[in-house]
This record gives sequence, C-alpha cells and structure tokens, in this order.
Amino acid sequence: MNDDGIELVSRRTLVEGPTDIRFVLHPGDRPLVGAGDTVVPGTRLLERLRDARLTEVAAATVGAEAQPGGRWSAAETPPATSGPLRRTTGATAGELLFEAGGRWRLATGDHVESIETPVAGVVREVRPGTAITLQAEGRMMRGVEAHGDPTRGVLALGADRGEGSGEGLVLRHGSLDVGLAGSILVVGSRIEAETLTRARAMGLRGIVVASLAGKERRDFLASEGRQRAALHRLPTFAVLVLDGAFRRPIASPVATVLQALAGREVAIVTDPPGLVFNEPAIELAPPPWDLVRIRGGEHVGREGHWMGLAGQRRFVGGTFLEAGWVHVGGPAPVAIPLADLERFG
Amino acid sequence: MTASDPHAFLALDLGTATSSAALVARVGHRWRLIGALAMPAAIEPDAIVELVLERATIADPNLARLVGSDVDDAVRSLPRLTARSARPQRLAVVAASERALVPLDDAARRSGWLVTAASPERMEPLAVTRALLDPGVDAVLVRAGEPPGPDERRSLDEVAALVAAAARRRPELTIVLAGAMAERLERFEAAGEHRQGEVLLGPSATSGEPPGLPLRELLEDMRAPSGDARRSIAQAAGALADALDRRVEIVDIGFNGGLRATASPGVGGARATVSASYVANACLVPAEVDDAAVDRVLAWSTFPIDRHRLRDRLRELRLVPWADAAGVGARLRLAAARAALAVLIEATASQSAEAAPDLIVASGGAWAVAPGPAVALAIADVVRRPAAVGIALDHARLLAPLGSIPDGTERRQLIGDVVDDMLAPLASVIIPGGVRAGHSAGRLTIHAGTGSTDLDLVPGSLELVDLPPGEVGTAELRFRDTVRLGGRGRHFAIDVAGGLGGLLLDLRDVPLRLPDRPDRRRELLEAWQDSLWVTRDR
Repeated sequence: MNDDGIELVSRRTLVEGPTDIRFVLHPGDRPLVGAGDTVVPGTRLLERLRDARLTEVAAATVGAEAQPGGRWSAAETPPATSGPLRRTTGATAGELLFEAGGRWRLATGDHVESIETPVAGVVREVRPGTAITLQAEGRMMRGVEAHGDPTRGVLALGADRGEGSGEGLVLRHGSLDVGLAGSILVVGSRIEAETLTRARAMGLRGIVVASLAGKERRDFLASEGRQRAALHRLPTFAVLVLDGAFRRPIASPVATVLQALAGREVAIVTDPPGLVFNEPAIELAPPPWDLVRIRGGEHVGREGHWMGLAGQRRFVGGTFLEAGWVHVGGPAPVAIPLADLERFG
Repeated sequence: MTASDPHAFLALDLGTATSSAALVARVGHRWRLIGALAMPAAIEPDAIVELVLERATIADPNLARLVGSDVDDAVRSLPRLTARSARPQRLAVVAASERALVPLDDAARRSGWLVTAASPERMEPLAVTRALLDPGVDAVLVRAGEPPGPDERRSLDEVAALVAAAARRRPELTIVLAGAMAERLERFEAAGEHRQGEVLLGPSATSGEPPGLPLRELLEDMRAPSGDARRSIAQAAGALADALDRRVEIVDIGFNGGLRATASPGVGGARATVSASYVANACLVPAEVDDAAVDRVLAWSTFPIDRHRLRDRLRELRLVPWADAAGVGARLRLAAARAALAVLIEATASQSAEAAPDLIVASGGAWAVAPGPAVALAIADVVRRPAAVGIALDHARLLAPLGSIPDGTERRQLIGDVVDDMLAPLASVIIPGGVRAGHSAGRLTIHAGTGSTDLDLVPGSLELVDLPPGEVGTAELRFRDTVRLGGRGRHFAIDVAGGLGGLLLDLRDVPLRLPDRPDRRRELLEAWQDSLWVTRDR
C-alpha cells in the first residue's frame, strides 16, 4: 500500500462536535425562548402562525415606544375611540411590522402550532421574524438535505449490511411496520415517496436514506405541503438524505455510526441537515486511513483501499482526469478519477 | 508580487468548486507557464501545489533548480498570487412600482447578485417583510424614480417604512437608497445608531453611460470589495486586449455565476476599455434545480435522457461538481455550460450590440473536462454573431490570479509575457450571417503554409478545416449572394490562425435554429459535437 497522494482525495467529516442549529421564524411567529435559555428535547421553541396575514392598527393604539418586531396585544391597551382594527375583524395580537401613515401593520393569524426542539442545547440568538439559533448538545452527522420538520425518535435499522459487495447498508425487505411507530428508520440506499407517506402514516418520526430521487422528492414535498395545510397535523416527520439523488448504499463508516446508535434517541434537524445524537459513551473509532469510497461514475457506491496516485488517465468517452489506484476487491487495483473518491475523517 | 524580484511564483485560483494552481517562472527574459493543475475545491491548495512542483521537477530538473521550485519548502516559500471567488450573495430589490423595479432588477442581475425583486404590485407587504428578514438576504436596494411617477407616489411612504423597519430589525443589512428614495434617508438613519451595515446613497438606476453603469459599479463593489476572481478576470481582459492589440471577450462559466467581459485595446497610450457583467444565474447548475433549469439543459443535451433523470444528474452535479466527469458526465457538463452561457448572453444584450471581438476566451470550471474543439463548438453554438473570431481557453486558470495584480503596468507586462502559454488556441470560427438556403452558397479557399484547400459553402453546414495550432493562413470566401461577416459583402479574405479544432466554417443560422422535436434536435447536436469530440471512443 502507498499513502502517496491520499491528501488529494476529498475528505468527508463523519461526525462533528456541537453545532448551531437554526429554526426559521417568519413574521408573526412567536418565539417562546430567549437567548441564553437552556432547552431539553420537547421544549416549545416557538409558535408558528399557520395562516399569517397582514392587518392594521392605529399608531395611537400601539403606543409611541413600539418597535418593529415587537408584539402587540389588544388586551394590553385600551381601544381607541375610533376602534383599533379597521380592515380586519378579530385580530387581537400580532407582530408589529412597520408604521406608515399613522397606522401600524402587523402580522397576525388565527391558527398557531407549537414547534418543539428535538435536541438539547442553549439558545444563542432569537431574532423575531428571522430565526432562533440553538447550539445543540452532542454530535452531528451531516447529510446533504433534509425535508420535513425537525424531529426526534429512537433509531432503528431497516437495512442490513449488503451481501456481495460487503459494504454499506441496503434496504431490508418488508421492514416497515407499525411496531416502528415513534422511531427514525434507516432504510439504506433509496426510498420511494409512497413508502415515505406510508412511514409517516404508521407513526414513524423520520427516515434516513442514502439518496432520494428527484421525482420521489417532489412527490414527498407535495405530500408535506398538503399535510401542512391540514387542520390537524400528524406528529413531526423528516427525511434525511445522506448522499444525493442516485442510488448507492450508505457508506460503511456512516453505517458503522448508525449501527452504534441503533436503539438510542437521535434527532433529525433540517438547518443544517443532519442527524444529532448526544451519546458521549459511544466512542467512534476513525475508519482506516486508506478506506476510500467511490461517489460517482462506473463504480459508484463501492469502497476500496487507496493504493497511490495513478496520474492523468483516459476514461470512458475520451475524458482525461487525474486518477488514483484503488483496490475494490478484484485481482488488481483499478484507476478511479480522484474527484470520484472520498475518504472519511 | 509578494517578494522582491522572484524567479518563480504560484498563481492560485480558488473557486467555489475548483482550486487550481499554476507555476509561473522567469525563463530567459520572460515569464513562462511551467505547469498547472486543477482539482476539486475540497482539496487543500497546498496539496495541489506540491503535486505541480513535483511534476515540474520530474519533467525538467534543471529548470526547477534554476527557478527554485525544487527546494524542500517551495510550497510555502514561493510567492503567491491568489484570486478567490466571492461567496454568492443575495440582494433584495424593492421599488414602489413594477416600472421602477425593472432597471434596478437589471442592474442587480448584471452585477453578480442573486436577486429577490419586490414591489407592492408583485408582493403584499407581509411577503416583502418576510423576504427582507430572510437571513439569506445580504443587502437591500430600494429605489424611487426622480421624480417619483404617479404609479409610485401612492405606495412610496409605505415602501420606505417597510424597508426602514427591516433595516432596524437587521442591523447587519447594507441598505442602498437610489433615486428619490434618498430623500427619505432620515428615516433610515433613525433605524438604529448601532447598525453594522451601511446606509448608502446610490446613483439613479438610469444614470450614466451606458445607463445604470454607476449603480452596477456600486453594487459590484458591495458584492465583492476586493480580490474576487471574476472581477480580477475582468481586469485581465483589459490587459489581454492591450497585450494582443485585439478586441477580446472573456466568457467565464463557474459554479456560482458567469462573467462576460469585453475589452478593446487602448489607443494612443490610453488604457484598454473594459465592460463587464457578472450574472449569478449564469452558473453551471443553480442551487435549486427547477423545471426551467432542466429545460435549459435538456435543450442542449446530446444524449437521450428523461427529465427526472436529468434533474437527478443536475442535482448530483450541484452537490459534487467534479464527480462523474467521464463519459456522459462530460457531455452533461458541456450541455449545462451551453445553457449557462445562453443565460449569460441573454442577460448581457448590450454587450452583444458592441463590435464583435477578434478573440473569445473561455474560462471557468465548466469547460474543464471537455476536449478543446468541443468547447469551441459550444461557444460558437451560443455566442453567434456574423464574424470571424478566434476561440481560446484559459486552460491553466491564470486570468484571475494575474488579473489580481494591482499595478496595471505590471499586470499588462506579465500577461503579455505568458499570453501564448496561458491561452490554448481552440479554433478559428467563421460565422457568416444571412446565408440563403440552397445547394451552394459559394466557395472557400484556405491558403496556409501546407498548401491550399478548396471547399464548397453549403448553407446550414458546419465544415471543419484542418489547421493545426501555430499555423496561420488566409481564408478567401466567395459567396453567390451578399452576406454579413463583419460588414456586408460577397468576397472576403480573412486571416485565420490554427487551433486544436482547426478552422470551423459555420454556415448554420444566426441565431442557431434547431428542430422542435427533441429527438431530432438531440441527434443534430450530437452529430455536430461528435465531429469535434476528438478524444471520443471509436
């Protein structure tokens, strides 16, 4: 083996330390925590307006000290003689947006829903209308995208170590059942939108998958949109995509982390997308230094051992690319474009 | 230069997707490009530099010793010229009417910003507030006409109040007040004493020559105050025009945007004149691959693929821009580059109205993996003007680092030295306009050092004439009818230079017209491209 040139292979960080997580606030949403607050999983962070609309109120009613971003409530101030609300009926509270022409515009609505934090941590910043930033306790494994709402559950493996290639995780047939309600399921290489919908209906809290095709992503997001519009929402549900859009098994170092976390409480967060866990007792050994994974091209998803630089090589279609020798299990190493490789650290 | 009188230096172009390193050394009495390498941006630049130096030493140990690139700490000790791409930023553009919004939107889109446009006619105040409070928005440009038009007066106060309130809530936002909105400065100054972001009075969106230029310059300064790779490339365009004494156009397509810089050489000791547009939407693949993005790439695809799969491929390309670059991956990149170039050309119509350049230089990671002649064809497909132009490639990505040299004289001198090394000649292209359909439009005779070649001019065809790099010749064209080729006429004699793709005689329509049926269009594009994909599997 030859470590020559492995620094020319992109390194993917497997697990990060404490990370800042963001919860988006829209105008009208009401934060329920303040900077410096310590929160635990399940703490209500904010009230989200589901039907935000603009309304007006006389500036005299609101008071001279009012600031954009502040909260206003009709109950706190005596009504003006001409009436505090002119255009709308029933608005008694909201977030002040701006004042023009002697009237304040405020964001208000009738239906709110509570958003809870799925992770423990310390609130770093609260900016009404923008975001709540939370420093999460524990460690995080990043994905490339996450859809749905931040969620929490017990990690369950619906996938096995693949046979044949002997690496990564592949979907176990018939692994979805109601017994998994409340859990976050690792399903392996790929999943269909229909299965995602079924998982949500069965009470699962989330799915971790290597890749999500564009069509499935679009269908799931449409389903999510309908779900958000419904009056009675189901529990939170999220999909964490680890790699991208093409089918490939979950990388073996990632699979090792997921297997270590099986049966433990984890959370999926959406901004940034990742799996957060607070298990200090679990020690994660670094993967072998020469382990590389092929993330594109002919051998996508396979793993092997770095054997050294191969120089510039001609590949299919007449493309010349810098390459490295990788032993992927055959009798001899094969030349793989350096840009198709990743290592883990 | 960072060290006095060095014998060699490293030129680094650190983009969002690609990092490149080049070793430039003084050989004899001039600077020469010794070697270069481009790799994914995730790789440490020092590792790339180390490999460049190692290969240079293996290739010519004596030269390496002479220029000092073979010493142990050369990676750290050699002086560096570094250009970095500025991160993409979003500008919220707000006006009191759609009419007032148009010039603002145009100026913002041509100065490299991602744009969120808002007016009371387009969005309700709640949605505008939400857009301004979005943490992805870095600055706000708000404008009213001078004087405000009747359509603006009704909502001017409300727009000013809305933006001022957002400025108070987000003290880090930079606010630009343009036109009559400047009269409402007090409202913004009252928005907070402890603002980190500035409140700037901008020029009118229609002032200057060409209209909007001063505003665009201000926005460019805000987006990338100094050292941005694309702004450096624009500076290099001027130096290149002076060095070659030719009109030069640079088209740069990168991961997060495109640049079109046109430069004419200075006359009578004056410096070159440069006009540049930075278009964030002219990126290889947008961050969110929507239907429009899929359609744009599908229109240039040379391989069969359905919309869903193409969307997936584009998403993967966005996530890992260097992966899967062989085979179909290379053709996908070229289709995406054509689509991005079309966006760039459409957004810069005023530059298309200028005189045609003598030389088009392709730059940026989008062109990195396709063979040179295929890149020349891709540019000829999209940048179609009735003219004879040379097409070259900034293969070592030297334009940005060399353009970042602050001293104009030193910059011109250095670029003049290395110009033959840094530009790979791809092809000379002759594109006559107004060729009538028929069996034959005339005859072409090429007089070159190796002899003469005679060709029939067939309307709608793409003819390739072998003219290797370094060779020069004269193309004599005799048309049956009057055509446009620079000027109007029937007989033309044009000096042409060789390239990797030789001479392309492009008698296709200007602009290019393609069949409506996707399969026919794809077959036609594939046939043209295959003839120039010189390294394809046979």
